[in-house]
Amino acid sequence: MPGMNSGLSANDPTVVAAFRAALLHQGLIALLIFAVLSIAWVAVRGRSAGIARPASGYAEPAGRQVLRIGFGLLWLLDGLLQAQPDMAVGLPSQVIEPTAASSPPWVQHLVNWAGTTWSYHPIQAGAATVWIQAGIGIWLLAAPRGTLSRLGGLASVGWGLVVWVFGESFGGIFAPGLTWLMGAPGAAAVYCVAGALLALPERYWRTPRLGRVLLAGYGLFLAGMAVLQAWPGRGFWQGRPGTLTGMIAAMSQTSQPRFIASLVSGFESVASHAGFAVNLVAVIMLAATGLAFLSGRHAIVRPALIAFIALCLADWVLIEDFGFFGGLGTDPNSMIPMALLAWSGYLALTPVPAGAGAPEPSAAQPSAQGATEEPAVAGARPEAGWRGRLGPSALRRSLSAASFGSMVALGSIGVIVLGAAPMATAQATPDASTILADAINGPAVPLDIPAPAFTLTSQHGRPVSLASLRGKVILLTFLDPVCVTDCPLIAQELRQAGQLLGADARRVELVAIDVNPLYYETAYTQAFDRQEGLADVPDWLYLTSSPARLRQLYKAYGVPAETLPAGAMLGHSDIAFVVDKSGQIRETLDMDPGPGTPATQSSFATELAQAATQYLSAS
Amino acid sequence: MTARWRVAAIVGGAAVLAAGCGSTPARTPTQTAAPAAAMVSLSLSTSAAAADGTWAAIPMGGTGPNLFWQLLRLPAAGGRWSLRTPPDIATNGALILAPQDGTGRDARTLITGIRPSLYLSYSPVTTTADGGTAWSTLPPDPSLADVPDSLAAAPDGHLIALGPGPRAAQRISVLRPGGSGWTTLAGPPPGSRACDPTALTAVAYDQDGTPLLGGNCAQPGVAGIFAYAAGTWQLAGPAWPASYGRQRIQVLRLTRTGATDTALVEAGTGHAASLVAAWTGDNGQHWTLSPALRLAGARPVSASVGDGGTIAVTLSGDRGETLDRSGTSWQPLPALPDGRAVTLAPLAAGTTDALVADGSTLTVWRHAAGSAGWARAQAIQVPIQYGSSS
Repeated sequence: MPGMNSGLSANDPTVVAAFRAALLHQGLIALLIFAVLSIAWVAVRGRSAGIARPASGYAEPAGRQVLRIGFGLLWLLDGLLQAQPDMAVGLPSQVIEPTAASSPPWVQHLVNWAGTTWSYHPIQAGAATVWIQAGIGIWLLAAPRGTLSRLGGLASVGWGLVVWVFGESFGGIFAPGLTWLMGAPGAAAVYCVAGALLALPERYWRTPRLGRVLLAGYGLFLAGMAVLQAWPGRGFWQGRPGTLTGMIAAMSQTSQPRFIASLVSGFESVASHAGFAVNLVAVIMLAATGLAFLSGRHAIVRPALIAFIALCLADWVLIEDFGFFGGLGTDPNSMIPMALLAWSGYLALTPVPAGAGAPEPSAAQPSAQGATEEPAVAGARPEAGWRGRLGPSALRRSLSAASFGSMVALGSIGVIVLGAAPMATAQATPDASTILADAINGPAVPLDIPAPAFTLTSQHGRPVSLASLRGKVILLTFLDPVCVTDCPLIAQELRQAGQLLGADARRVELVAIDVNPLYYETAYTQAFDRQEGLADVPDWLYLTSSPARLRQLYKAYGVPAETLPAGAMLGHSDIAFVVDKSGQIRETLDMDPGPGTPATQSSFATELAQAATQYLSAS
Repeated sequence: MTARWRVAAIVGGAAVLAAGCGSTPARTPTQTAAPAAAMVSLSLSTSAAAADGTWAAIPMGGTGPNLFWQLLRLPAAGGRWSLRTPPDIATNGALILAPQDGTGRDARTLITGIRPSLYLSYSPVTTTADGGTAWSTLPPDPSLADVPDSLAAAPDGHLIALGPGPRAAQRISVLRPGGSGWTTLAGPPPGSRACDPTALTAVAYDQDGTPLLGGNCAQPGVAGIFAYAAGTWQLAGPAWPASYGRQRIQVLRLTRTGATDTALVEAGTGHAASLVAAWTGDNGQHWTLSPALRLAGARPVSASVGDGGTIAVTLSGDRGETLDRSGTSWQPLPALPDGRAVTLAPLAAGTTDALVADGSTLTVWRHAAGSAGWARAQAIQVPIQYGSSS
């Protein structure tokens, strides 16, 4: 897929170091957020000793509690997994792209957009996912009830959808080979369902109806999955080389502890020899569990739930291979969320006894506790209008009445913003981060030496000297007009740099000198310009001269041109010089374009444009 | 669960199942219509005879960016093949050979076009007048077609080039001696009742310097060989016997060596296909047709034209055939030596060299007329720069 792959190694040391530094930096800010909120909370509570605190003894419905804590922990774990060093570069190319590869083109197109966005800003994107997921996890864990808790559920739905669509390619539901055993319809889809349930008003959790509806829906889903699993011609009934054994074999290749790999390989062997039996067991278990859930009867659901959880755990270990090994595992896959959802549905079948917990504030009796919406507090006076609700005194009262959990939940929202804001800012610019260029070639080397003078011929046949360009910043490089690899990429980077400069471009000259002394005629520099779409770029010069004069210039700039035998292109170094307005070389940039992906090209262009801008502003 | 819920569950379940069934992978559609007859595509690996020797273009090395085309030369005076690949340019895209083959000093000139590859989208053109020791450049062509005869030189130094693309978009351009750029000669020949060209496959000059064009006609029994006269392309190919009247004829090669223009065509398709050569020494006034070589399911892989119009063809299945202009019969060669790429070079006195590339090693095998096998004549280690185009 074009664009998605930055082309860098997932464990590129420069990117990994930058990712770690960003996480550390943002982690300290996250701690600061919590510290400030805690101090404010303690201070306000100390000064508001007279205000009554919420009554304790609230009991959250068990089904909801299982969902909230379970998925809170899962989001937290997912956030931690996103902090693995390989994630910043590896996620788009080694997780998202392979996942989307078997999906229809429209899915690939959509996913490619997101993957490209990520690959342009790997540090910001990688860190954003860490803090957003960790933040949602903390939010769910810290806010057991009220509006804040329900909003946490909505946040889970929103981010879950992002992950499901872009990270999991809609959970692979549009790709062939869909099977519950390998995680269909995607773990993030289950996160979304759980989030939606948590976002429901608590009154829905107090009657068995929610549990029945949830289990009925779940039962239908499992029955459907059983039919898909049993459908002839999909390759699940055969052993080797069947669909299931192929999937297990692929999972067993993941880098992981040896005993787990041998466990998975062992099951692959079983599945290859007894594929029919394994699939039969899966089909029967799914169908039976589905029907049992559909019944909605405690006595039937309970044993089915136990069997289903056992099936989930077995699948998690033996087929999904835990899901989080190998350095690029993003979550523990779908079986734990599936089991949690079923467990929650079962618990929700039991009505919450009357008097367990305070009733949720109704619309007719609005709560006076602002956003945190804690249980009713004696002594709190509602303020009229939004000005009053947001006034200092109202906020102080809200803060003093809020529980510690609510404060932590508020802090977690800050953590989410902390991750999302840099990514959103990065997205506002079309150019890629310079970290990619730095990862390929290292940073620019500062210099302050006079640029060797020259008088050459432009692609239009006009003489051009270095002196004639005085007053402009020059981005100068050496390009071979018949080059098949690097030079066209470097030319595109220069062209993009010119575009990034915008109005400043007229004060910058993009200059290339022909580095091939055999193909030195203007017919070749012109052909190169046409090839690269540079013919109409106003501040672009492709300069050439006689072979002898060109060779002198190569020597003066330290750019050797070496003839290589047997059909190889001319060997020369990829380098750019940043020449300031007074003709001094101020920087050299190693321009080896590396993988030459859109992301790395954009990164080099950004680096060039930034260098030019720096010396435009200098006197 | 209430009855209402059960009904909803059953309906919903049916919907899920229907969706599930619909999501199973679709089968690959079976091909019901007969495929159109595939156009024969010869390898660009070939040899060309010039006044001062024989040149051969051969793919060597690995694959993709590690495939480098090499140029080799065998002097007319005899001796050994030597590496003469033009310097300072990546040859991943293939070399197209165009010996000028004129008279006097120009007879020693070879022009090579480099086909586009990787990020290079146009075709540099380079020339040597001293057997490949020193090279200079000519203005680049926008892009040479992927056929062995997409570049040709006239005795007076004019060049003609054939561009790629579907017939309607194929460009035929010329470069005059000393010219600063290629100019379009004419559009493709318009369709007519005699020949509606479906593809253009070769350009050449006759010995008078008239541009020639080879192509395939939609009509059976007609070879699409055109001469450029009075500002238009006019059919100039041989008249084919009635026995070819129902056969589709594809021009595979159209080239000139010395005073002879040679065409190699495939007549018919599939198992009934055969190769036929046609020669003219009087600018298309009279053509001589060779006997047909029944391919019997074999596929022509590459074809070389030697001095005087001698033809050497490699066929799939390690087969080789030669035919000289006397045209009496095709002569089968012994089974071709093993190698990734085998290029035949027809030489004087019925001798044929087989240049066999395997990685960085080029082995020359020689077959003398009448002998029963190939004799190993030479081995050349080519210093291929693997990774240099990656």
